[in-house]
Amino acid sequence: MKRLRSRRRATALAVSVSMLASVGIAACGSSSGGGAGQASLTWFINPDGGGSNPKGGGQAQLAAECSTSKYKINIQLLPNSASDQQTQLLRRLAAGDSSVDLMSVDPAYVTQFAAANYFAPVPAAMVKQIKSGGTVQSSVTASTYNGKIIAVPFWANTQVLWYRKSVAKKAGLDMSKPVTWDQIIAAAQKTHTDIGVQAALYEGYSVWINALVAGAGGSIVDNPNADYQHIKMGLNSAAGRTAAQIIRKVSDTGVGGPALSSSEETQALNLFQAASSSGFLVNWPYVWAALNTPPKVPWINDVGWTEYPESVAGQPARPPFGGIELAVGRSSAHVGLAYQAAQCITSPSHQAQYMIGTGNPAAAKSVYNEPAIKKAFPGGLAALIVQSLDKAATRPLSPYWGDISTALQQRFSPPNNVTSKTPATTQQFVLKVLNGKALL
Amino acid sequence: MDDNLSTKVKSWLGVAAIPIILWTCVPLLFILAESLKSTTALGDPTQNTFGNFWPKDISWANYQLIFTGGAKDLFLPALWHSVVVCLASTVISVVLAMFCAYAISRLDFPGKKVILTTALAVSFFPVIAMVTPIFNLWRQIGLFDTIPGLIIPYLALTLPLSIWILSAFFQQIPWEMEQAAQVDGATHWQAFVKVVAPLAAPGVFTTAIIAFFTAWNDFVFSLNLTAQNARTVPAALAFFTGASQFTQPTGAICAAAVVVTIPVVILVLVFQKRIVAGLTSGAVKG
Amino acid sequence: MSAAVETAKHASPQKRQRAHLTDRAKAERSLGWKLAGPAFVVMLFVTLWPIADAVWLSLFNYRLTDPAGKTFVWFQNYITALSDPLFWQTFVTTFAIVIFTLIFELIFGMALAMVMHKIVIPRKTLRTIVLIPYSIITVVSAFAWTYAVSVSSGFMNYWLHFITAGGFPLDYDWFGGRWSSLFIICLSEIWKTTPFMSLLLLAGLAQVDSSMEEAAQVDGATWWQRFYKVVLPNMKAALMVAVLFRTLDAIRIYDNPYVMTGGAHETTTLSMLVSNETITRVEIGMGSCLSVILFIIVLIVAAIFVRGFKVDLTSSGGN
Repeated sequence: MKRLRSRRRATALAVSVSMLASVGIAACGSSSGGGAGQASLTWFINPDGGGSNPKGGGQAQLAAECSTSKYKINIQLLPNSASDQQTQLLRRLAAGDSSVDLMSVDPAYVTQFAAANYFAPVPAAMVKQIKSGGTVQSSVTASTYNGKIIAVPFWANTQVLWYRKSVAKKAGLDMSKPVTWDQIIAAAQKTHTDIGVQAALYEGYSVWINALVAGAGGSIVDNPNADYQHIKMGLNSAAGRTAAQIIRKVSDTGVGGPALSSSEETQALNLFQAASSSGFLVNWPYVWAALNTPPKVPWINDVGWTEYPESVAGQPARPPFGGIELAVGRSSAHVGLAYQAAQCITSPSHQAQYMIGTGNPAAAKSVYNEPAIKKAFPGGLAALIVQSLDKAATRPLSPYWGDISTALQQRFSPPNNVTSKTPATTQQFVLKVLNGKALL
Repeated sequence: MDDNLSTKVKSWLGVAAIPIILWTCVPLLFILAESLKSTTALGDPTQNTFGNFWPKDISWANYQLIFTGGAKDLFLPALWHSVVVCLASTVISVVLAMFCAYAISRLDFPGKKVILTTALAVSFFPVIAMVTPIFNLWRQIGLFDTIPGLIIPYLALTLPLSIWILSAFFQQIPWEMEQAAQVDGATHWQAFVKVVAPLAAPGVFTTAIIAFFTAWNDFVFSLNLTAQNARTVPAALAFFTGASQFTQPTGAICAAAVVVTIPVVILVLVFQKRIVAGLTSGAVKG
Repeated sequence: MSAAVETAKHASPQKRQRAHLTDRAKAERSLGWKLAGPAFVVMLFVTLWPIADAVWLSLFNYRLTDPAGKTFVWFQNYITALSDPLFWQTFVTTFAIVIFTLIFELIFGMALAMVMHKIVIPRKTLRTIVLIPYSIITVVSAFAWTYAVSVSSGFMNYWLHFITAGGFPLDYDWFGGRWSSLFIICLSEIWKTTPFMSLLLLAGLAQVDSSMEEAAQVDGATWWQRFYKVVLPNMKAALMVAVLFRTLDAIRIYDNPYVMTGGAHETTTLSMLVSNETITRVEIGMGSCLSVILFIIVLIVAAIFVRGFKVDLTSSGGN
């Protein structure tokens, strides 16, 4: 039951939901009562800040607003963790369940489903629209498999570096320029503060490892489209060893906090909120709403943000990519209507509404120019998010990412056991697992 | 019985019963207590008494959540599915087992030992291992996530059990009456319907209760062979989500757990003697 | 469940009596199969067929999401599984749970049975109350214990803190390590299944001839001597059946660890390993192979009991 999340975060988002009122948005269609010709679409959503409340600012509200006289969108809540969501959807899709019309799919398993041919093809008009440049690049990449668009970008997440301005100043760190992991580790050591990271045994740890490897110019999987027999890994490389070295250094210097090996997003944020240890934090943009919502941290004006740290000095960072893509089930009885609904849900105005309602960033670039967004993500934060999203590195878009990620987390845990040999042994282990020569 | 026990021993045994009763009840009372806590009390020990055990202020919010609120769509259908699937599989397996057990205990035919041995062997087959082949077949013939698609695998749990318990029960029936009926010219079938069935009814009923408990308890089949149209309560509990992404479903799970526990507790209270007899009948006979 | 027994021996006297009634015997045979057949066929379909299918699938490298990559690999999966450290780790975890729960269930179950056997005052109440854990859904028991020891909402740490006069830390995370997690899993398992165990033992106790006990008492035997020399040997059959049933049941443990830890901190059991492979990773071939191995383990344990400890399943109950 890995459902521990801070209540603080909940309040933060609940309050930001109330800001919704400030954005005037017209629903795509008028939601009239269920007429005889009204089709019923089921949308499987991952839990978000709005839950199943049709006025909660989340996907449930989008479902209500996007229902028209032609179709009504019903929501089905998936479990919390990405791997439970994958199991649930996969079972239905494998069984050819015609009730899976729309689904919110995590990038961690979108390619697995696409490779298994579980998605209905995206209509040409929508493909054209997705490719037209209005969507952040990382989100387009994450919706592509084997050169084809297989899902519709909905929202796009990325991490930024949060820091205390006073701490950076005390350490003599110039935050106007990109900083490296080595620099912030040294700064945190010097100022006796912590760096909040995600290194527990869960998908978030793979997110961190992937960002470090990509930032050092490498990739965990070189040919993500290949089948398991021909897959080539790039983890056992200079970039892989750089990533391992950074993780070990965070652990050895103690700047990762006392419970590094069980640190998820929430624990990392708690570390940043505690005045005694607060220094740096890599985390998703919801952090801003969490910090800025009453009871605010007393030093809210001391909070700064900048681009994700570089793995190697001078080489641009590749921040992590997250978010959700929308997909339509191949066995759906209403593929056409489902894509119409997807079009409505992913319209820029709904993405903006969703971004304010839940703190989850939009995939459409135009959203970030809206005044309401700039107000909710002030001080250049909105611009930083969209800029990071364009550079963000997706996790390898391999159908086997689920296995690769689990193996990665296991072999890199706990962080204080990571050595320069870890990338090589992990790579060997992953290849054995994929070829059915080892259990996971 | 045991009239020779001294009063001292009797009272000591009475005292010994107290920790046993406590040990049995505390976890159950705690589930009840959790279900009566408000969301804030669940994470705040100062709002509870007896060492974070019982809430100072009782809240019915969790029950509202599962009966009328956000978790309604998850819980109420699951409760319905549980009742339907468990009753159906119980009835089917008890009826089949009734004939089978009668034949085993009364008639002479080759292969009865095979039937009993098979029943014994399959009831210890790891349930999880049956899931994948059944899922594979179900998804091809469209039984995935349907009520019959769950009733059939439940028979794997209830049928062998019913065959044993009933076979043991049927040993204890005074068969002379059946033989007397046959002497009077009745056929096997008539003897069965007129004489044996009424005699066997209590045993059949007990078997049904035990089979029902077994089906009611299933988690693995429901977890893996259903999605929503046939999901039963134990699996639904594992997939409860809170009111939003950031709230834990603790209260709702506990409230649902209390609701599904009430019927079995009532069954136990009413039929205590029968259940004990059913569970131990094979061993008691002597 | 103990009713497994006892039934088969019944037939033989009748057989001799009716040897000359050939027509009648024939009719009886056919009626026997007519009555028993449907149940037998259904039982075979719902159990033996999946077993056979699992054996067949275990010879493939087959991933559900990649049907094109399905290849026949003979016994490769078995070699991989049996030489994999993870398999042996789950094996150790499973048997640690089996042995630990069995020992405590036997001790508690026996104590409980002896109290129930002799108790007079709350006799009916006690018998009813111990039945309740047996009837509770395992998942509910798992949630109850999970929340009971949880740092934020549980009472266990507070009670232990109180009992040890502040010695036990309030923020002790039971699910933070392997052995403490396993301890809680075992606790839930013991709580749920001890009553069943004690009822089987109670039935055994009832068979012990109380005059033998009295005779021993007259001869000056202590309580322990009477228990060890008279009671135990006389209920050995019931004891062994109870142990066998609980062992075979415990080897399949799944619900408790699934709900309580999800397999974290090396608490994955064999059944969970099977479900990780077949359900989460959709590696049908490897998962089926592990199912078959698990079934074989169950058979081996059953064989050890039946052969080694001479548990006669077809006649144990009565004598």
